[in-house]
Amino acid sequence: MSAITSIADLQKLAEKKSRENQAYSKIVTLCAGTGCCASGCLPVLASLRDELEAQGLAQKIKIRTTGCHGFCEQGPLMVIEPGNTFYRWIKVEDVPEIVCETLGQDKIIERLEYIDPASGKKVSCETDIPFYKAQDRSILGQNKVIDPCDINDYIANGGYSALVKVLTSMKPDGIIEEIKESGLRGRGGGGFPTGRKWEYCRAAEGSPKYVICNADEGDPGAYMDRSVLEGNPHAVIEGMLIGAFAIGAEHGYIYVRNEYPLAVKHSKIALVQAEELGLLGKNILGTDFSFDIKVARGGGAFVCGESSALMVSLEGKVGEPRPKDIHTTEKGFMDLPTNLNNVETWANVPSIINRGAAWFASKGTDKSKGTKIFALTGQIKNTGLIEVDMGITLREIIYDIGGGPFNGKKIKAVQTGGPSGGCLPEERFDLPVDFEALTEAGSMVGSGGMVVMDESACMVDVAKYFLNFLLDESCGKCVPCRVGLSRMLEIITDITEGNGTEEKLGLLKDTAETVSLASLCALGKTAPNPVLSTIRYFQAEYEAHIKENRCPAGVCRDLIHYSINEDNCNGCGACLKACPHDAISGEKKEVHRIDDDNCQKCGICKEACKFEAIIVS
Amino acid sequence: MSEYVTLAIDGANVRAPHGTSVLDAALDYGICIPHLCHMRGITPIGACRVCIVEVVENGRSKVTASCTLEVEEGMVVLAHSEKILRARKNIAEMLVAEAPNSRAVQDVALRCGVKEVRYPFRHESCILCGRCVRACSEIWQSKSLGFVGRGSERHVALPFNKRPEFCKRCNACIDLCPMTITPCPGPMKKGEEALCGLCEAQMSMAEETPDTCVDCRLGEGFHCVRKSPYYQ
Repeated sequence: MSAITSIADLQKLAEKKSRENQAYSKIVTLCAGTGCCASGCLPVLASLRDELEAQGLAQKIKIRTTGCHGFCEQGPLMVIEPGNTFYRWIKVEDVPEIVCETLGQDKIIERLEYIDPASGKKVSCETDIPFYKAQDRSILGQNKVIDPCDINDYIANGGYSALVKVLTSMKPDGIIEEIKESGLRGRGGGGFPTGRKWEYCRAAEGSPKYVICNADEGDPGAYMDRSVLEGNPHAVIEGMLIGAFAIGAEHGYIYVRNEYPLAVKHSKIALVQAEELGLLGKNILGTDFSFDIKVARGGGAFVCGESSALMVSLEGKVGEPRPKDIHTTEKGFMDLPTNLNNVETWANVPSIINRGAAWFASKGTDKSKGTKIFALTGQIKNTGLIEVDMGITLREIIYDIGGGPFNGKKIKAVQTGGPSGGCLPEERFDLPVDFEALTEAGSMVGSGGMVVMDESACMVDVAKYFLNFLLDESCGKCVPCRVGLSRMLEIITDITEGNGTEEKLGLLKDTAETVSLASLCALGKTAPNPVLSTIRYFQAEYEAHIKENRCPAGVCRDLIHYSINEDNCNGCGACLKACPHDAISGEKKEVHRIDDDNCQKCGICKEACKFEAIIVS
Repeated sequence: MSEYVTLAIDGANVRAPHGTSVLDAALDYGICIPHLCHMRGITPIGACRVCIVEVVENGRSKVTASCTLEVEEGMVVLAHSEKILRARKNIAEMLVAEAPNSRAVQDVALRCGVKEVRYPFRHESCILCGRCVRACSEIWQSKSLGFVGRGSERHVALPFNKRPEFCKRCNACIDLCPMTITPCPGPMKKGEEALCGLCEAQMSMAEETPDTCVDCRLGEGFHCVRKSPYYQ
């Protein structure tokens, strides 16, 4: 590949690739994101290649392996263009049929179609699926049309045109003004206006300046950044290039977790390809602008997602946050001005430059603009990665996109913003997804985790789970976070074990407030959110634990008791076989009994029983 | 000549050289902000959070540690607002529950108004203030001590748990440690924990004249900065 030196070169490359794609009669897009790889897309890919070769279709049909499409629970996914035919749960055995029927004769295989769990109807076209329909996938949507390991694919879809526009017709101040006007705010959780951050960093004294992409995503159950970096690394690189040009930075880093092997691999491939084309390195596109990016792998400490800890870690020291009275835009990596943004923030930049600030600002609420990616998980019908306009209500996300509860149970709460977000009850589901509105309600947008819980979840237990995670991930530098969280966990464990008192609940609240007020970094400052929000919205549950020694959801082991309903038990013996602790006894076809001394309250018998004869009280 | 800036701490106009921390400026002026991990001459790290203050800017206030906060012209600092006092008291309560046998920690707790401790005592031997680690690497350029582990496993240790050859045996780590000095009438036994309370008299003085720095002698060898050798 020869280096690109002008817009014409870039256009030529884009046209060449488009012509290549048009030569194919069909394009099969196979999701090869981490989720689909786990559900077995790679054998499917191999057998699809073999089958096409065998049938002599390899020249006519193109296979495109892409990053995550978002609907991971349905994986491995396949979309066949033209027609947007959507197949899910594809197995190797299905491949010959797909090639023969759908690719050969344009017939749709009903068995592989998606069935909408709400209506029970089959949907064959991807865009008609309710999960996708209610979304606005301006970033994630690109994943479907781009092979992350081929820079030409990105260029054919308008990639790097924003960089050309910036280098040829815009001044750094103009770019910053554009970003400020768009209202883009940090997508990593802080929500700080990106344009202002760039402006501070540009104005800061010191050289060289650095630009960092924060891909150290550590929230349990969240994989937004991972999927963007895996599926569309060039968008992130282009965003960083534009940012670096605006700020006047010379070097960049992508700090990505080592636990994300595919993201590391794809970003490294993307960097090499961009460098080959002269889009990275010295004198980019023949201008004076020089910029390079390196990939740095993180060791998996949650706290290293905090900007100052990340920079210290990048320097090769122990990743601990430092006080941010002096902003990292003035003194960051190596004590030099450093601008750090999240993966999603960077990925938003090229489209803002291409489509204009007004386009971006037309989406969202008064203060929160654009779209946001969430990892929707929990007790709902449809789970996966979603991208929605800011300002959409939680109810729309949970019921329209998520499809509502899946086993007839009532949805009780949603936890937004990752482990240090808060739990919001059903009454607050009409809240818009907006930085300010969610913070006011005691939660946060955060980096984008969204866990939906139904009646079977005990909110005290949920708070305890997240507290445990955060205590484990606290760096231990400051007292409120290290000691405060361990004290909170001590108290909440007492409550779930039936040793809670009113005074302890008061102390829990006091401690939580101190931790959120006085901690050094954002990890500590937001860590009490799960506890404070559950006390705020689900106080009755705490009181049931404390006053009545009862866990309403039947989760806290020390407060529940398993017994067998004699009317429902028909003595089938399923529970007896399933119990790993030999706590169930009874003759065949006679009512069984649970021995309280041996019962470990694991709940396996309840799952095994088909007659709802096991009662938890 | 260093440049001076003027800032307001608790309503008092304080003049301090550029680059000083708010905590040092307050102490020099005579406003006592309780503190534990801070020591003049070594880099502040803001670990104990006892010295937290509120900084008011554009009608909004943020809470931060005063030891790591540099003075700025026109800065408005509240070191004894109700919010701060409540949080500081709670932090001191946590600290004294961690290490009830330390006279220094007890004194700090008393200064912060802790009269009873609601947490069960833990009898830790270290509160991770990092004075020893910083003094060893910064004053003595020795780096014989360091933090090991993360979160609840964090502790101070020698390299490979052996005294290294480059240790200068200066004993600064022991002299500066708030845990090594326990001049309370006998260390506390398990189950009989109570606050020492020997500086109760100083406390009442502090309550009567809250603006002046009482020489609270935060444990022998752990003086209030006015008595420390690092105070010029």
